[in-house]
Amino acid sequence: MISDARVEVRLGARQLTRKFGSVVANDRVDFSVAPGTIHAVVGGNGAGKSTLMRILQGVDSPDAGSVILDDQPVRLTGPADAYARGIGMVHQEFMLAPPLTLLENLILAREPVVRGGLIDWRAAQAEADRLAKIAGVEIDWRRRVADSPVHVRQILEILRLLYRGADVLILDEPTAVLAPLQIDELLRLMRKLKAEGRTIVFISHKLEEVMSVADAITVMRAGRVVTSTTPDKTSREALTQAVIGDAALEPRVEPRARRPGAPVFVAHGLVGVDALGVKRLGPIDLDICSGEILGVAGVAGNGQDELVECAAGLAAPAAGEIAFAGEDMTRASTARFRAAGVGYLSADRAQEGLCLTASIRDNFVAGRERDPAFSRFGVLRLAAIAERAQRAMDRLSVRYGRLADPAGSLSGGNQQRLAFARELERDPKLLVAAQPTRGVDIGGTAFIHARIAALRDRGAAILLISESLDEILALSDRVVVLYNGRIVGKLGREEASVERVGRMMLGQEAA
Amino acid sequence: MTRAFSSAPLGRALQAAAPFVLAVAIGAIVLAATGHEPLSVYRLMIVEAFGDERRIAATLTAATPLLLTGLAAAIAFRAGIFNVGAEGCFYLGGMAAAIVGYALSDWPGALSIPLALLAASLVGGVWLIGPGLLRARFGVDEVVTTLMLNFIAIDLTSWLVNGPLLARGSANSATPPIGASAELPRLLPPSTLHLGFLISLALVIGYGFWSRISVAGFRSRLVGLNPRFSRAVGIEPMRVFLSMMVASGVIGGLAGGIHTLGLVHRFVAGFSPGYGFTGVAIALLARNSAIGVALAAILFGALSSAGANIQLFSNVPIEIVEILQGAVMIFAVAQLGFGWARRRAAA
Repeated sequence: MISDARVEVRLGARQLTRKFGSVVANDRVDFSVAPGTIHAVVGGNGAGKSTLMRILQGVDSPDAGSVILDDQPVRLTGPADAYARGIGMVHQEFMLAPPLTLLENLILAREPVVRGGLIDWRAAQAEADRLAKIAGVEIDWRRRVADSPVHVRQILEILRLLYRGADVLILDEPTAVLAPLQIDELLRLMRKLKAEGRTIVFISHKLEEVMSVADAITVMRAGRVVTSTTPDKTSREALTQAVIGDAALEPRVEPRARRPGAPVFVAHGLVGVDALGVKRLGPIDLDICSGEILGVAGVAGNGQDELVECAAGLAAPAAGEIAFAGEDMTRASTARFRAAGVGYLSADRAQEGLCLTASIRDNFVAGRERDPAFSRFGVLRLAAIAERAQRAMDRLSVRYGRLADPAGSLSGGNQQRLAFARELERDPKLLVAAQPTRGVDIGGTAFIHARIAALRDRGAAILLISESLDEILALSDRVVVLYNGRIVGKLGREEASVERVGRMMLGQEAA
Repeated sequence: MTRAFSSAPLGRALQAAAPFVLAVAIGAIVLAATGHEPLSVYRLMIVEAFGDERRIAATLTAATPLLLTGLAAAIAFRAGIFNVGAEGCFYLGGMAAAIVGYALSDWPGALSIPLALLAASLVGGVWLIGPGLLRARFGVDEVVTTLMLNFIAIDLTSWLVNGPLLARGSANSATPPIGASAELPRLLPPSTLHLGFLISLALVIGYGFWSRISVAGFRSRLVGLNPRFSRAVGIEPMRVFLSMMVASGVIGGLAGGIHTLGLVHRFVAGFSPGYGFTGVAIALLARNSAIGVALAAILFGALSSAGANIQLFSNVPIEIVEILQGAVMIFAVAQLGFGWARRRAAA
């Protein structure tokens, strides 16, 4: 099971290229992981790390170049093939069955059986205890996954890979969901596994843990490997520089012309939790004034989702207060947020931003069907709706067939314009724009940016959340940086440089 | 996905008719295998269902309860609620109308009929508030709650009609008959076709308009398609779930009330041979459209009225007709797989 000591590269890639349309996700990537080492892969959002890992795990295949296994180029037919060759991955989204116990999850799909097809629980328990001993962790195997804290689930995922005989473990941002003490425990486990002779590839945004645990570091940016190094030959400073690069700025929109007005949205002591009840945001204080764009920068998963949900009224905060236009809205329903003038561009366009199976017209009018312009005495004014929809589509240059076509018939960029058209028509006092140009091409991005700036100039407050630092810097009048759910920096438009914000996003500097 | 949502009218019509066509084919195989001539049996069935005015009237009479139970199911399904509780509402509504129709025997029909139907609707609507709240507030699966409530409703009415409400001197489990003034007028005497058919048809047509042009119809469709999206644009899915569940119960109760006032004129044990469940099949076959509900209800009405007569005039046993009905339902429900997957994906 443990690799032959003479092998130089247990897992790697040679001149590996993967394109999605015109986007080159991996551009001639060379990557090699020596057996029995911990290899960190570092990079910003969209650097191509996840694409590379998916290919190494056989989920995706390269357009050119090849995956290297034990010094030999191979063609993986799928994740099962990768498993058979000893490669396993722990995804960011855990793949566990919550109602089952930890032990049941461990053996799921590879149950030890005795004659007659019954599960050999004694063998299962013995194997589980052996694995826990190897890993040096104490686990109550009878607990259900649903009742287990997140770091136990993470450890279970790793032990399951061992149970299935993997000796190369790919961990996709394993520490993103963990508290500091749990991170220490995980890093200890990783070192232990390395000492056992296993190979670990792990993706992280947190440079301190990379420097402390990794034997080798690969930095990716814009689909390419920009640095391959080791902790003793580099520094956090140098890594930060490599991650950020010296990106040329996109042309910025004009800054606000007038001084911002009164605060429209005020959050105080805001705390947000995710679906599992784990605290992901806060406590933070935040206010957004009319006539300004407040950009929220941060690596994905640092509390942005929870901030969006609280600001758009989709989820009530776990603690703290939210006031909108001077009115307390802490416990208000989504409908009340909408009625009060909150617009929302969802990052999840396909599931939340639009109803793809409904028509373009229906998507346009949804939420405002009660408006006197669109209905009278509970009866829809179909002609008026069609006319307004058509005008709005024309204004935003949406390319569509007929208004009765399903929204799913539009291209991604046009879908976003449709969602944007609906929100603009509401003339919001606050627009919560989450990833407003995700999946939109360059021309469409500039167009949407100009519209957002125009909305601001008409006096709206805008909360911009984006994984793209370029977008944040191109649009924002003020920037706040989220790290581990807390605001670690507040910068004015002039102070916010790629360098400074980039450092703060990686937890390197507090302002 | 593109095929499932194909907007070509012909394609959609073919898709909708497919369960029926398949069922006819299976029925033909069964008939041939049992030594009958499929084509002549089918011709006989068509004649028995639609051959003359009397037979058409019988078919439409049989279709009357199905129009409303189909509508009750469709209005809930459309909002993404899989309510299968129309059967229970049908029993309760029938019982409520029988009580009011008997108690107000001396009142003129212009008063007693609306009051009896109102009582039937109210009972049906109130009956489903519980499952509606459980679904809206706690996400409790409405299939289980409404299915179980059916048994409670059927047994509750069965107990009432055997005890407190049993007609004096009656050997059967039946309430006393309603007053003659409370009976719905016959449309084509001597046939049993009654005013309830027109009321039901009008409601189905009204539903057609409601679903296309009303604000509430628009909202319930969006919630049925994608509750998360609906919530994000400011529609409250929970409210829609509850109101459509209650609306479904109101229609189910009204169906029972009309059945009492128009046809049975009292409440008896075994009041419904499963009209509520046939309604589920009708709504699935109709894909919740008004025209589809009307056509499917008449189809099932034809099958049951033809089935009753066919064994009088041929040696085809009535079971063959029941197999045909069952086959149509199975193929209609096979579409459920599609609707179900979409519902789960949206939820």
